[in-house]
Amino acid sequence: MHKDWPDSEVILKVENLVVSFEFESGRLPAVGDISFELRKGKILGIVGESGCGKSVTALSIMRLLPQPSGVIDNGRVLFDGKDIVGMPVEEMQNIRGKKISMIFQEPMAALNPVHKIGRQISEVYRLHFPEINKKEVKERSINLLDRVGIPDPDIRYNEYPHQISGGMRQRVMIAMALACKPDILIADEPTTALDVTIQAQILELIKDLQEENGMSVIFITHDLGVIAEICDDVVVMYAGRIAETATASDLFKRPSHPYTKGLLSSIPRIGTKRKTRLSIIKGMVPGLDEMHEGCRFQNRCPAVQPLCKVQPPQIAEVSENHFAACHFSETTSTLFDINTKNDVKIYGSGLNDGNESLVVSNLKMHFPIYGGIFRRQTGKVYAVDDVSLKINAGETVGLVGESGCGKTTFGRCVLKLYNPTSGQVSFNGNNILKMRQKDLRPLRRNMQMIFQDPFESLNSRHTIGDILEEPFIIHKIGTPAERKKEVKKLLARVGLQENAVNRYPHEFSGGQRQRIGIARAIALKPGLIICDEPVSALDVSIQSQILNLLMELQEEMNLTYLFIAHDLAVVKHVSDRIAVMYLGKIVEYADAETIISSPLHPYTQALISSIPIPDPMRSSKKQVLYGDVPSPSNPPEGCSFNTRCPLAYAECKIHEPALKFITTSDKAEHMASCHLVK
Amino acid sequence: MKINPLTIKKIRRFRSIKRGYYSLALFIFLIIISLFAEVLVNKRALVVYYSGDIYLPTYGAMIPGKTFGQNYDYETNYRELSREFKKQKSSNWVLMPVIPYDSYENDLRDDEYPPFPPSIENKHYLGTDNVGRDIAARLLYGFRIAIFFSLILLVVTYSIGVSIGSAMGFWGGKFDLFFQRIIEIWSNIPFLYVIIIVSSIIVPNFIILIFIMAFFGWMGITWIMRTITYKEKTREYVLAAETLGASNFRIIFKHIIPNTISIIVTFAPFAISGGIVALTSLDYLGFGLPPPIPSWGELLQQGWANMDAWWIAGSVTIAMVVTLMTVTFIGEGVREAFDPKMHTIYE
Repeated sequence: MHKDWPDSEVILKVENLVVSFEFESGRLPAVGDISFELRKGKILGIVGESGCGKSVTALSIMRLLPQPSGVIDNGRVLFDGKDIVGMPVEEMQNIRGKKISMIFQEPMAALNPVHKIGRQISEVYRLHFPEINKKEVKERSINLLDRVGIPDPDIRYNEYPHQISGGMRQRVMIAMALACKPDILIADEPTTALDVTIQAQILELIKDLQEENGMSVIFITHDLGVIAEICDDVVVMYAGRIAETATASDLFKRPSHPYTKGLLSSIPRIGTKRKTRLSIIKGMVPGLDEMHEGCRFQNRCPAVQPLCKVQPPQIAEVSENHFAACHFSETTSTLFDINTKNDVKIYGSGLNDGNESLVVSNLKMHFPIYGGIFRRQTGKVYAVDDVSLKINAGETVGLVGESGCGKTTFGRCVLKLYNPTSGQVSFNGNNILKMRQKDLRPLRRNMQMIFQDPFESLNSRHTIGDILEEPFIIHKIGTPAERKKEVKKLLARVGLQENAVNRYPHEFSGGQRQRIGIARAIALKPGLIICDEPVSALDVSIQSQILNLLMELQEEMNLTYLFIAHDLAVVKHVSDRIAVMYLGKIVEYADAETIISSPLHPYTQALISSIPIPDPMRSSKKQVLYGDVPSPSNPPEGCSFNTRCPLAYAECKIHEPALKFITTSDKAEHMASCHLVK
Repeated sequence: MKINPLTIKKIRRFRSIKRGYYSLALFIFLIIISLFAEVLVNKRALVVYYSGDIYLPTYGAMIPGKTFGQNYDYETNYRELSREFKKQKSSNWVLMPVIPYDSYENDLRDDEYPPFPPSIENKHYLGTDNVGRDIAARLLYGFRIAIFFSLILLVVTYSIGVSIGSAMGFWGGKFDLFFQRIIEIWSNIPFLYVIIIVSSIIVPNFIILIFIMAFFGWMGITWIMRTITYKEKTREYVLAAETLGASNFRIIFKHIIPNTISIIVTFAPFAISGGIVALTSLDYLGFGLPPPIPSWGELLQQGWANMDAWWIAGSVTIAMVVTLMTVTFIGEGVREAFDPKMHTIYE
């Protein structure tokens, strides 16, 4: 398909690969007729939303499809001139791990919990180089751990997977994958489960190792930012087919397929104007059993033509080494440029009358740890440690931080879903923590929550009608007929069909389910909504739909949001003010623009710098944080950030800096807790 | 009211598991048969035609012999009546059930001692036991008692177990700890001795026996319920209900229990077969339902005592094997339909 690449030979060639899965309902194609090439010594990115067949492609190359349901129907995978698809199993076993290795998304699941790390790494050597003696295997394994940046490798060698952090586990996985110096490394969403600062570390590591060993990498991700960060070539997959292939620089400069364009313009970036209406790709990826005739993107494409409904587009060259599967790739270039136009809708905040909706002062939530024979308390997890926060009515305060920093716990404490150790939460003048459950219940209608996981937060045994009617039943509002009418209104409000009433949650996609969750939260017209990572479980193209809806509702219903998320770009887009949390404490607090443009705390600076930017031309040196977040049960002495801070000095290890007001030029409210900030 | 499509899918999956599906059909068929046992196995006639009138003696009050021109006041002996009508060659007739014997009735003969072997001529298709009662009749009536015994037992133990178990799981803490110890102590009480003691004081009847069995049988499902509730309670939909201000009562009954139904249902068939076995073994030991109530355990006991009368042990053993296998197959089918474990391998 490609013309001969100018300076580099092709090491792996996938030709017309078709993969199907056997389901109870029949056999459905997961990957339909894809071809691409991997160049030697280059990083190829495969990008697409979930359900687009990225992982299936990777597993097919490894011949690791789950048997007997996954079947390679057609096509060839040429490695070293040999076809992997028809290869005998024994021969394949020699390739796996030795010539082609793979790392997975969930390092805890991919490591065997009952074996020590050292044993798992040396297993690779024992399998592929049985002639090496034990001592040398150990030596090599420790060397390898050292090379992937694991501190004290000889100690870690004797530890179990659960004793090390997620980032470390992913490093161990990488070490195992690299043990035999493979020609190809397949990385299947290796950083998706990791925090953004850890992601930056791992990406750097993969890139360094790739340059060092000259191997080729297939990097699968849903994040265009990550692609721009490390990939040379990109394959964009949509619904089991290739939408576009190009070099990374070309793809971001001249995206040709409407899907690629949509993906690029729908993600809120750190530079996007705040509270603007995000451009969206409407609808969602079709399921395997509802693939369209013709172009598979037709139902979501803003430029769909009658031809798209009948004839599937062939992949065609747009410019040199740039291919797209669209009938109209030449003419659609003006689409999706909405963000650059001036007439973009900007959402207002709710009506801010200066009243404080929520005031949290000195909130502490310490979970006890029990141990010993008599189950006595042996320690505490300092999940939330002395946090104060104020939210004015009608505004959005973003709470951002890495996993384990206590942001979710904070949100739940505010609603008294947990019983905080100490502190005060005052909502509309009511001291919530002092109230009894019985007195609190009527107040609950004014403070609602949107949950992260739309699969978990809806009861799968209830119909959508039941779920949305429940708030009215609990608070004894209206007659059954009135409730039914309200439910219909709610469904229409969040953009769902009326017939959803009689259906069950599992019949909806993630984005639709999140809409149902939102409808439930706004049912009783609350004042305050706590959004706990409302978009992090959703696909990129769905995220912007939900964010738009949230901003729209705020303007319309005068809502106050506490927006909890780990993604600073998303938080910045919807928030008026942002609090950055680290290890149970707020380390910086300012209005959204200020915190991004002039962050004061080194942690905030590192967070901003770690966000992958979907623009390969930006080659700014990243400020990568080293090390892991310390355990909240044993926070470091002094400043909690001192173990990772690039600027830490002696003072930081002794005294804890207080969160104090910083006098800035524009007199904005800006607080930070750092000894270096005056 | 619309059935959850997931449930429909489970039912469809169950139907595709042929062994379980046919077992269920057979089981339901057996229950229906046993419900109408009076029509099939009875010493009373189905229909009597006597001087222009039609009598249906199966259900209802007993009809004295005088009604049919006999010289006695007690209940008509329909088998005699039938023979007599035939002898008279009158237009009167009697239609007897397939097995014209009652399960309590001793069919004794002058010159022979029971047990009598199977004989089509005497309409003892499976023979009689050692006091001359028809084995087929006793099997059918015994089945009816055993199956309803275990169904009622199931309802009672599950009601207790589900309520206590979900309360333990939901509230946890001291409440949970207290009941955990209670259950541990409870399970160590020797069940058989209690039954022996109780039955030496009062003669156990159906209700008392269910009461005693439930007394010792609620722990299993309580344990299971406690564990599932613990798991369910931490899920986000429960948190969501709490955020809405739902009461604990509502959370348990509207949210948690419906989500545990599929697991409870999976265990039910095995509990039923357990109930049948328990009743049979108690009867076998003589601590179950008092004689002469028809029971499989008592038949087994007789079979053991009269090994040369092979038809006693043979028929009751076959009946037990068939019933227990049917129930177990249903259980297996349900479990597979509710929780299919796809067998996946990697090369």
